Order: sequence, then C-alpha cells, then structure tokens
Amino acid sequence: MHSITLLQGILLAIMAMIVGFDFWLEGLYIFRPIIVCTLTGAILGDITTGLIAGGLTELAFAGLTPVGGTQPPNPILAGIMTTVIAYTTGADVKATIGLALPFSFLMQYVILFYYSAFSVFMNKADKYAEEGDTAAFTRLNITTTLIVGITYGVIVFLCTYVAQEPMRTLVESMPEWLKHGFEIAGGILPAVGFGLLLRVMLKIEYVPFLIIGFLVASFVQFTNLLPVALIGAAFALYGYVNDKNKAQVVNVVNSNQGREDYEDGI
Amino acid sequence: MKTESNNKLTKKDLRKLAFRSVLLQASFNYERMQAAGWTCALLPFLKKIHNNDKEKVSQSMKDNLEFINTNPTLVGFLMGLVLSLEEKSLIKGLKVALFGPLAGIGDALLWFTLLPIVAGISASFASQGSIVGPILFFGVYVCVFLSRIIWTSAGYKLGVKAIDILKENSKSISKAATTLGVTVIGGLIASYVHITLLPSISISADHAISLQTDFVDKILPNILPMGYTLLMFYFLKKKNVNPTILILVTFALAILLSLLGVL
Repeated sequence: MHSITLLQGILLAIMAMIVGFDFWLEGLYIFRPIIVCTLTGAILGDITTGLIAGGLTELAFAGLTPVGGTQPPNPILAGIMTTVIAYTTGADVKATIGLALPFSFLMQYVILFYYSAFSVFMNKADKYAEEGDTAAFTRLNITTTLIVGITYGVIVFLCTYVAQEPMRTLVESMPEWLKHGFEIAGGILPAVGFGLLLRVMLKIEYVPFLIIGFLVASFVQFTNLLPVALIGAAFALYGYVNDKNKAQVVNVVNSNQGREDYEDGI
Repeated sequence: MKTESNNKLTKKDLRKLAFRSVLLQASFNYERMQAAGWTCALLPFLKKIHNNDKEKVSQSMKDNLEFINTNPTLVGFLMGLVLSLEEKSLIKGLKVALFGPLAGIGDALLWFTLLPIVAGISASFASQGSIVGPILFFGVYVCVFLSRIIWTSAGYKLGVKAIDILKENSKSISKAATTLGVTVIGGLIASYVHITLLPSISISADHAISLQTDFVDKILPNILPMGYTLLMFYFLKKKNVNPTILILVTFALAILLSLLGVL
C-alpha cells in the first residue's frame, strides 16, 4: 500500500508524454508495456513490480498492434495503470492488468477521436502545399504531435495522481473470488492477443508450423522461446529458398504474368 | 545528363532523411493517413532538389500529399526511392503503387515476427524480475530504428531498379516471415496462456483425481490454452467479433468461473 506523490504524478505524466510521442510516431517502440511498466516502476521506486507487470502486460498486448491504421487498446495506459494499481493497492499484477483495461480503452478512444479530428488539418496542409509554405507545413505536423503528447500527459496525471484514492477503495472492497477472477483473466488474456495475430497470419499452409511451435514449447522445458524461434527460422529459410527456386522456374516458363498477389501470408 | 542529376543528395542528407522518416505519422488521420507526415519528412530534400524554386516545391508537396499508409520503419526505402526519381521528375503514382507491398513486408517482419519473438524472450526475463528483459527489448528496437538508415539509402541508390526488387521479393519475404512468426506464436500460446482447472473428483477418503493434472494434462498439456486461443481466432476471423468484446467476455467468464471454483 503506497500513495503516489505529486512529484511522482508529474514524472509519470512526463514519461507518458515521451512514450506517447513514440507510440504516435512508432519510432523506438518504447511505448510497449515492457518498457512503460519498467519506467513506471522506476519512477515509483519499485522496479521489481514494474518488471513483472511489464513481462505480463507485454504478452497480453502482443497481438494488439496498430497495423494498417487500426488502433488497439492503448498499451501505454495499460502498462502505466497495471503497475500503478499494483503499487498503490498491493494487489497482484495478474489482477491489476484487468483493472487497468478501462484506462487502456479510454485512451484508445481518445486516439481514435484524433484520427478523425485531424482530418480537418488536411485542408490546411493542402493550402500550405499550394503556397509552398514549408515552415507552416512543418509547424502543422508538430502541432498535431504535440496535441497527442500533451493529452497523454494530462490523462496519465489524472488517472494516477488524482484518482488514486477511489481506485484503492475499489480494490480493497473487492471480494476474494473477484480478485482471483481478475488474476485468471490476466492469465487467459494473451489468448485474445495471439488470436489477433493469427487472424492476420494463419492460413492453412501455416498450420503445421503453429502445431510444431506449440508442441516444442509444451514438451521442451526451457526458460525462453529462443529454441522455438530457431526452429521457426529453419523452416522459414527452407521455405524461402524453395520459393526462390520455384519462382526462377516459373520466370523462365512465362517471363511476365502480370500482377502478383501481395496478400499472401500477411 | 543522368550523372549530373543523380546525386543531389549526399550521404549526410540520406542519414538525415532516415531520421526525419520518423515524422511519417505526425498528423495521422483517417482522410489521408500518413500523407502530411510523409510530405513533412521530405520537405528539406524537396527544397534542395528543386533549388528552392517555390513553384516546383509547391507542386511536389501537392503530389506528395496523396494518400499513403505503410510501415513506418521501412518507409525510408520508399522515401529514398521517391526522392531519387523526383530528381529525374518521373514519379507520379509510384508512391501509391508501392506503399502496399512495403507495408506487407514491414508488418510481417516487424509486428508479426520480430515483436512476438523479442517480446516473448524479454518478457520471460522481466517476469522473473530481471532488468535484462527491457534492456534487451530496447536494444533490439534501437537497432531496428537505426536500420532506417540502410533502407533509406538503399531506396535512393536503387532508384527504379528498386521497384522490381520489391515486387519480386515481397511475397517470398512475407511468407518466410509468416512461417517464423506462426511457429513462435505456437510456442507463445503454450508458454503464456494459463488456464488451470481446479476441481478434483474424490474417489476415496484420501484419494482424489485432479481434473487438470490427472485428466487434461494426460491428453495433451496446454490443450486448454490452445483451444481457447483457437476459439478467439475463430470469433475474430470467421465471425468478425470486435477484440474489445472478446476481452470483456474473457473477463466475465474468468470471474464467473472463479466464483464457481472451476478456475
């Protein structure tokens, strides 16, 4: 049981702004929960909780990717709130990952709002392009990014510093079976993420590899997934070389068959 | 004639372009997605190529403001390519033709192959309270970021040749990446989805059969995690259920089964 000091609240807000910029621009991937949770833990002076929360939240969010302009539940708010709630209430991170989800959804919808709202700026962009005004054009892009970053800072400050008391009361009033339920849900949640990854990737020709990866990890007891990754790499290389050889043959047969299908696989 | 127009951008310019490519999503929106950020990243180089001729820069800005949505890490390749062709003023429509294949390769490699692997390995360290986890993760993604320099100068140097290379290889690379990714996801399901049945059936006063260890695990370990993941996959793919709903249903189910003492 701890409280968040004003200083910690401010530091969390600044951290959220920085990783918020990064999520918006998709640059260094420091917006992923494993980094966000660790930084949150460091700010709160409890890095171990941060690391454990990071490991868990990262995997729960593995499949929730912003590919193709879709917006997943927000990994930053999930990371910060999972760690903060565990720290302030003393609850297990497996349970707090569930309590953090509403915050994650909230930020997801804020970003979705900006995706729509920023369409308005495109008129301005067209106007600046017409005038060849590069300075104004750059300012426009910086403005939108700043709006997003500041929003992260404000929301995180409100969620962590201002709302900590009601949050603790809520967690303390939860019965044991409910807390246990949240813990279980935290353990199952990665299934949704993996299901999302498979939705994009799993075609019938890849099913054998799913089975092999699953069996290897089930029966070979090892602390990390590197052996599975190496087996996957072996199959990938084998398939790639085969594919190349086949493509060469096809190329000789008919040197140009028009459009290719890029949708294969992904 | 070719040689004099070919090298307006120096090595230093290309490195700067690689770093500026991070602006791609600066004003992301549903109307034209990454178009404004894309144009913004190119501005200093458009000015240089057109020798600050305001009219030409303006025309080029308007051309570049067309819709684009591609992978942010690999976009430098397309930026380099477009700029090398801008110097010979023969681009129209090229960006539109190529951002799709590039997004396919980039998303396959980065989001669906690299992320599950790096996340899986670094999370296994972090879960044990080891700082190695986030450091490893960060290190890998700094390298990924720096790789932008390679893609950018490759795109610029290859010029038109790049189009054929991209078209020829995007399919094979995506396939290989998907194979690797799917294998790792199989492993992730076994390692990180936890469903354990609690009930046991007592057959005598001091002997009981645990539903999990004596029954389910005897059939196949981790069969419940795999089953539930495939169920999620089914709802997402075949029924087009929103992931948020699946998350909420998973929570409701977990709490209900906890209350009943099943999980």
